[in-house]
Amino acid sequence: MLNKQENLNNLYEGKVKGTFQVTSIPNIRLLENMGLRAGTQVTIQNRYSLGGPVLLRIEEAYSIALGKDIAKQISIREII
Amino acid sequence: MSRILLMGNPNVGKSIFFTELTGIHAISSNYAGSTVSFMEGSFTVGGKEYTLIDVPGTYSLTPSSEAEAVATSFMESGAQAIICVLDASNLERNLCLGLELQQYNIPLVYALNLLDVADRHGITINTKLLEQELDAPVVPTVAAKRQGLDELITKLEMVLNTPKTDCIHPTEAKPETNQEIEHISCGNCSLCRFNSQKEPVDAWVKAKEIVRRVSNKNDIRLSFMDRLGEAMMKPMPGIPIAFLVMAIAIGVVIGGGRGLRALFFLPLVNGVIVPFFRNLFTALLPEGMFLNILVGEFGIFVISFEWILALIFPYVLLFYIVFTFLEDTGFLPRISVLFDNIMRKLGVQGGSLIHMLMGYGCAVPAIIGSRAATSRKERIVISAAICFAVPCISQSGALIVLLAGYAWWMLPAMILFSLLLFVAVTLIAGKLVKGTIDPLVIEIPNLLIPNPKSFVRKLITRMKHFLKDAEVPMMIAIIIAALLSESGLLNIIAVYAQPLVTYWLGLPAEAVIALILGIVRREMSVAPLLVLDLTALQAFVGGVVSLLYLPCLSVFAILAKEFKIKIALTITLSTIVMALFVGGLINRIGQLFIA
Repeated sequence: MLNKQENLNNLYEGKVKGTFQVTSIPNIRLLENMGLRAGTQVTIQNRYSLGGPVLLRIEEAYSIALGKDIAKQISIREII
Repeated sequence: MSRILLMGNPNVGKSIFFTELTGIHAISSNYAGSTVSFMEGSFTVGGKEYTLIDVPGTYSLTPSSEAEAVATSFMESGAQAIICVLDASNLERNLCLGLELQQYNIPLVYALNLLDVADRHGITINTKLLEQELDAPVVPTVAAKRQGLDELITKLEMVLNTPKTDCIHPTEAKPETNQEIEHISCGNCSLCRFNSQKEPVDAWVKAKEIVRRVSNKNDIRLSFMDRLGEAMMKPMPGIPIAFLVMAIAIGVVIGGGRGLRALFFLPLVNGVIVPFFRNLFTALLPEGMFLNILVGEFGIFVISFEWILALIFPYVLLFYIVFTFLEDTGFLPRISVLFDNIMRKLGVQGGSLIHMLMGYGCAVPAIIGSRAATSRKERIVISAAICFAVPCISQSGALIVLLAGYAWWMLPAMILFSLLLFVAVTLIAGKLVKGTIDPLVIEIPNLLIPNPKSFVRKLITRMKHFLKDAEVPMMIAIIIAALLSESGLLNIIAVYAQPLVTYWLGLPAEAVIALILGIVRREMSVAPLLVLDLTALQAFVGGVVSLLYLPCLSVFAILAKEFKIKIALTITLSTIVMALFVGGLINRIGQLFIA
């Protein structure tokens, strides 16, 4: 059903409104507990200017904001 | 022990359950050896009384914060039953915790809450199927509308009355049937603990699988609040809305506080309470110093009511009404995202903003609350900013009354000054303190209209805390004020303080009492100025000194406890030096304009 394109990238630079699959996250317990792990589907809802955070919709269920420096450490793959 | 734990992820409406189940009487306690507080109250199930504990919201039993560690400790110390609140609109992550809780073999009832939200998001859940999957009662609820609570109690009674499955250990079983008998986990014997450690259930995999089987997703019909909540996350119109909300909040606290003071508290104190004590003591006691200490101009029975009840109480009450309201709507996480970029430029992160805003109420809970910050550097920067530039609401109330008596622009000027100071202190502290600051990680809850009962309960708890923490230092300050002023000792001290107070700061010599009392409590560095007949410039200088001046004894104590005594002393000494230096500078500059 889904045609996955191999587009390795980090979450901070992902396209706004794009939906992605997380491929790897830094080893931070809080991220995992909040439901962000390899395989999680995220939609980037907004990226704030001047080094602000990214706002994510996780599995179409809830929203999390991640600061720039942590979002950059998360690898994603685009789902088309 | 007959306690029942109320558990769940953050922002699932747990505290609404708690308020609805236990009523308005509850106590807030600190978990032993931590600053994490929780609420406990009593309620009846099937004619038997139980203690319900509102365990801090947790994502997982593998803790990632102090609050979550406390939640885990509660599980380990045991309970009669657990009510696990699940957010139906975000079932998968909620089920992870729900499944982890099963490892402890404590009877469980699940409340499938926020069904109204799930419904709007187009999610339908087959409760019966979920019940089978979880092998425990699942009650559909909308706690904010009291739906499903009676059934929840019925189901809770049922699990409480179901005898615990006996733990049949292989060694206890009859030899001939030994091989067939499974070890049914009781959770209490060493073998059970060993087993549960040996086979960790991957809750995530299981939760995903369950959600796939029990739920369906259809069309989304967003409500006005959902749309507003989303709109507030966009810089346009989110940032203008945020400023508007803040402006309204400040307006309500300042305007409302002044109104309450003028229309109710001041007439009550000046017309009823103070005359009553004056007449009473004048009739009982002979004239003299002792009588003056009780009911003179600075008498204990005069200033304790004038300062505490008429001066600061109206503002404290309104501040906590506004702050609690904003907190319960989900406004605070939104501004921490919108302003994360600015906070990041200042060397901290958006989440710090929530603690700093709390500091406008009282610095003590704000500094304790900053424990949620993940790095030590962030905590110190937050605490320093609060100590230097964030006036607590008691002090703000006194400052409002002081400055509003002169010119309309003085209050906005003071607010602007404190904001500039805030930026400067955050920047400087960020440069001075070594270490790193972790980036923002925050969940954005749905925008909500606060539940009235939980709101009132939280407000009552906060006001009680405020009074409990403030009463002793306030009374100490008031007794010192009465003794110094009415005994004439103040005049002697004033002579020695003249070079500093009169020459450098340009204030009347008696104003030295503000500097003495300000050590004990912040608002006490303003209150004595009210009766001193100051010029506008003097009032502004007094206000600036008070704003910068050291942040009360309780704050010193909490700084020393939370950090090292060295940091407490550094912050305290630099605030005093800064206050006197900047106050004098403003006096000099102001003199130039007047001359």
